[in-house]
This record gives sequence, C-alpha cells and structure tokens, in this order.
Amino acid sequence: MSRADLRLSGLFRADLFRTATFRLTLAFVVAIIAGMALQFGLVYGQMSGYEQQRSTDLLQREAALLVHETPAQLEYEVRERSKTDLRVILNGAALFDMSRNRIAGDIKKWPVGLEVSPRTQRLWDAPPGDTPYEMRYLAVEVEGTNGNRDRILVLARSLHMANELRYITKRAALMSVVPVVAFALMAGIFLSHRALGRIKDMHEAIDRIMDGDLHERLPTGRERDDIERLAVSVNRMLDRLEHLLDEIRDVGNDIAHDLRTPLARVKARLERVSAITNDPAALQGAIERAALDLEQCFSVITALLRIGEIENGRRRAGFAMLDLRELLAGVVDLYEPIAETEGVTLRVVDSVESVPLFGDKDLLNEVLANLVDNAIKFTPAPGTVELSAGQGAGGACWLRVADTGIGIAEDERKAVMGRFYRSDKSRHVPGSGLGLSLVSAILRLHGASVDIVAARPGNALPGAVFTIHFAAPASV
Amino acid sequence: MSMTSAHESGAPERLPEPSPRLLLIEDDDSIAAEVAEELTTRGYDVTRAATGVEGLDHACAGQFDLMIVDRMLPELDGLTVIESVRAQRINIPVLVLSALSAVDDRVSGLKAGGDDYLTKPFAMEELAARLEALLRRPTDSRVTMLRVGPLEMDLIERRVFRNGQEIDLLPREFRLLEYMMRRPDTVLTRTMLLEDVWNYRFVPQTNLVDVHIGKLRRKIDVPGEPLLIHSIRGAGFSLRVPG
Repeated sequence: MSRADLRLSGLFRADLFRTATFRLTLAFVVAIIAGMALQFGLVYGQMSGYEQQRSTDLLQREAALLVHETPAQLEYEVRERSKTDLRVILNGAALFDMSRNRIAGDIKKWPVGLEVSPRTQRLWDAPPGDTPYEMRYLAVEVEGTNGNRDRILVLARSLHMANELRYITKRAALMSVVPVVAFALMAGIFLSHRALGRIKDMHEAIDRIMDGDLHERLPTGRERDDIERLAVSVNRMLDRLEHLLDEIRDVGNDIAHDLRTPLARVKARLERVSAITNDPAALQGAIERAALDLEQCFSVITALLRIGEIENGRRRAGFAMLDLRELLAGVVDLYEPIAETEGVTLRVVDSVESVPLFGDKDLLNEVLANLVDNAIKFTPAPGTVELSAGQGAGGACWLRVADTGIGIAEDERKAVMGRFYRSDKSRHVPGSGLGLSLVSAILRLHGASVDIVAARPGNALPGAVFTIHFAAPASV
Repeated sequence: MSMTSAHESGAPERLPEPSPRLLLIEDDDSIAAEVAEELTTRGYDVTRAATGVEGLDHACAGQFDLMIVDRMLPELDGLTVIESVRAQRINIPVLVLSALSAVDDRVSGLKAGGDDYLTKPFAMEELAARLEALLRRPTDSRVTMLRVGPLEMDLIERRVFRNGQEIDLLPREFRLLEYMMRRPDTVLTRTMLLEDVWNYRFVPQTNLVDVHIGKLRRKIDVPGEPLLIHSIRGAGFSLRVPG
C-alpha cells in the first residue's frame, strides 16, 4: 500500500459518516421518526376520543335507566351491581344522601370535587398506596324512600381502556421505530459506502493527475447521475487544460527554436568578429549583421507580446466607425511597389462605394497588411492578389484576400492560424511565423471569423482565398 | 542591396549649436543612464529627473528645448506631468515613452499634450531621429512651394521639379517626398515614415519602406547628379543637399 492509499483508506473510514449521502440518510431517519410520532399521535387521539365519548354515552344511558327504578329496587340494584353487571359497563355505583353519606354501593366515599350535574365529570381517584387513576363520574338526584328527591346516584366508569390504548400505541410506536431507523441507517451506510467508493476512485485519479500524469481521467460509468455528470465535466476540463498545456509547450518549443537559430548565428558571427583585428570595415559589417539577427529575435518577441496584449486586453478603446474599402485602398497603396517588384498584380476588385464597419483601424490595417504580405510572398510571378470587401444581408461585412499562389493544403488551413505554424512549403520564406496568429487574435477581438479555401482546386497553383466574416452590427 | 549601400552615409550630422537642452524624466535608472549617455554624445545637454514631481519642478524652473517623459512614474504619472507642463503654457516638444503599445495608450499620451510617442524597447537611432524631428519643426503647412536644393515642389499644382525638369510622381510618391521635403536634413526612420506618411502603426515583416524609397529615389536621383535621398545606416533615410 502506498502512502497515498493509506491516507485514502484512513480518510475513507473517517469520512463514511461525513458523506453527503449519510447525512441525507440521517435527516431522512429524523423525518421518519417525526412522521411515525405524528401518525401514532393521530391514531391515539382518535381512539381515546372515541373511547371517552363511548363511556360518557354508557354512563348517561345507565343513569337514565336507573332513575326510573323505585327507590327500593334502585338500592337493590346498586348493592348487587358488581354481581349483575357482567359486561363491566360500570366500575362503580353508589347511593348517597344529600349530606354526601353513602347509603349503598361500592364507592366508599363521596369523590372529592364531584358535583351533582347531568353532565359526566372526569376526576382523579387517588387511593392511598396506589397510583392515581382517572375515572368518569356521573352524579344525579334520585327519589328516596320517603318520595322526595333526596338521594344521589353516583355512577363511575374507569378510563383504563383509554389508558391501556395509550400504552399499546406508545409501545407499538417504539417497537416499530427501532427496526425502521435501523433499516434506514443500514441503507444510508450502504449508499454512502458506495458513493465513497466512487469518490475514492476519483481521489486516486486526481492524485495521479497531480503527480503529473495529465492523461489520467476520472472514472465514469454508464450511470448518468450527479457525480457522473460532474466527473464528465471535470474530464472535459482536463481535456481542455491538457490541450492548452500542450499548446503552451509547443509554443515554448517553437519560441526556443525560432530564437535559437538567429541567436546561434549572432554567436557565430561575434566569435568570428573577435578574430578580426585589423579590418574595421569587416568588423563593422559583422557587427551590423549580428545586430540584424538580434532584430529578428526582437521581432519574434514583440509579435508574441502583441498577441498576448491583444488576446488578454480585450481592449476596444480604439474602436470607431471606419470604411473597409478605404483600408483596402490604403494597403494597396502601401504594398503595390513591393508587389510590382515581385511580379504580382495587386488590386481591389469590387465596385462597392464604401463598407462601414465598427472596428479598430490600426489593428485591421495590420490584419490586411499581414494577409497581403503573405499573399505576395506565396504567389510566384506572374500572379495576382485581389482584395475585395462587401456587406451581406443584415449588415454583416466581409473582407477577402485572394491570390493565385501555392495555396494552403486543406489539412493545414486550421493550423496556419495558430502560433508559429509554418507549412513545409514556406520554410524558406523569412518571417516570424506569427503573422497569421496575430491576425486571428485581432479577428477574435473583432468577433470575426476567417475561412480559407482554394481558388482553383486541383491546379498546380491552387491559390488561397482568405475570407473574413464580421458579425452583423447588432451583435458587435 | 548594392544600390542602397552606394547611398549609405555615415553618422548623422551634429546638432546645431548651442546644444539643445533636454529634460529626461525616467524612473528606470539603467534606461535613463543609457539614454542620457547616448544623447550627450549626440550633442544634447541632458538633465535627468527620476520622479514625476522632480521632473515637473525642473520643467517649470528651467528653460528646456525638449522633454522625454516616461508614462509610468513614481509620485506623479507621466501624463499628469505633461498636462501640468502644458497648463503652465510651456510649449516645448514632448516625447512620451511607454512600455505599453496599445493604441489607446498612444492616443491618451498624445491627447495629454505629448508630441510623439515611442514604445519600449526602442532603438537609440529611433529615439534620436524622433527627437531631431521634434526639434526641427516641419515647414509651415501654409506654404505653397517647397524647396530643397535643386528640388522644387508645387503643393497646389501637385508638381515636382529637379533643376526645372518636371518629375512625374505617383500620388503616394508625392506624399512621401512632401513629408521629406518638409523635414530636410533630418533622419527619418522607417517607423516614422510608416506612421506619418501611411498612418500605419505596426512593424511590417517586409522592407516596405525601403521599396518605396527605392522607387522614389530612382525618379529623384538621376545619374550624374548629386544624391539627395540618403540612407542612414541603422537609422533610416534623410533628404539632404550635399556640401
């Protein structure tokens, strides 16, 4: 077991009860308990209400029957009640005189707090040395032996049924809570364990990535749940990061390579210079050529810094309304002499009066200059480089630079816009290799896209057509 | 390039006497020292200031012919210094130096009252040429006729003559020559020409300016007559009447 594994398994055990799944389970268990308590409460409330209503009814009904008995019969019935009441409707019955003294029956003395009333009353009976219990009483006046209503009939019914009911429901609730909670907890632990197992795999993958294995990805299965989706997102992020890192590494290598060549030349030159001692003119020449090579290094660095500036700055302070047509005329004016010396005809070929666009004039001039510069470089004499611009439906502007040169192979078209790309055909042509990446940085700033096609596919000189599509004004 | 080298001349000529007094406000000690040394050998009387406040004090107290101001300065930034100097009605030319090259920075530098803008790192030749150009203000734009030695330019008729012989120029060649004739005996760098004649603010990958100058030179400098357009090695070009 490696140290990482040990750390992971420790973390694994300690964290089992801290997983989101387990916490969710606990919350769920609490909810179950609360739900059961509520359920049993309701059941018990219903049942005890029913029982109380029933005892009240029973007491009233018994009393109604007994009131109509003759006094002697009543006294007899009360005295014999415990023997005749086989259904145990009543738990106690007695006759009292008006001064609350017992005449007959099994209620030994007048219950404390009992009043003579047609309504039933709930009273607590507390026999000495026993736990108090609740009784329901009914006390009504009845006729005595002398014909006056001078006796009181007291009927009592114990609420033990209700109490028993409460005891039973409580017990049932408690009995069922234990297995339910235990089951929920077990389920929670199982689920957490599973989630933690997946997390553990991911932890291990992340540790491997952090150790430098950038090709590693988080494990993903077929389940499309939250964790899975998160892992897929993280993997996509890792793909992107890996791609960017590769790009940076490539750029770094390219910079090193592009600077290495001229620097090596400078070094060689200066070494030779140190051997020259008596020829000031040769010395001067060598130093100047060395300075020229250093100049090239500078231009590579400057171009890189500019790309960075344009890409990071996202500055649009230089944006204003301009006329693309005017820019075309300007760039032709600037490049015509050099095109002429290269045997290339450079011209603007559309008839549109003006193409208004919101953009940065200096940066767009740079785009045009780079494209035209490239077009002239890669077009052998006699050839033509034609510029055009226009405005499509919806106001979206476009700009086109078409040449009759060596063209760009289809699989290279995307790569040429990247940093330092040099097609094999262009190895011998001087340049920083950054012109087109500068172009794409500027175009991104303008929200424009570029596509490259061949003018005459299949031809020995297929030519390249760069078309830049600017976004319609509303979306800029 | 054999043709170009035939035209190349040596170091730029000395500045007019007495030495122009230059105030250099720059906080980076190594750059300031290097610039000061270079400019002193080129005939400037250089005073150095390392902070914005110090620079502003010097500018308001002393009589300077020229100022170089770095944009980023401790205490008081470069643009504020320039604005304060301009508020004092001191109208000497100001060259702004900056590590930032973005267009809006250049624009704000010129808006604050700077006359020219140079991005670090820069070549000493470029700096020297720009200072020289700032010192020798171009010919008044109201004149209608420019004359440099045997060259004559009629700005209204848009015609050019050498020794009375008309030279047929394309519009862009006319613009280039006009710019040079307004600044005779001044070293003009490729960047200056690209910025001022064509309004382009980037360094092209091709020797564009050389091609333009070459075309113009073929029309202006006819064989058998003294050269007027000179290449200044490592710096640029200059329109100069020999002797």
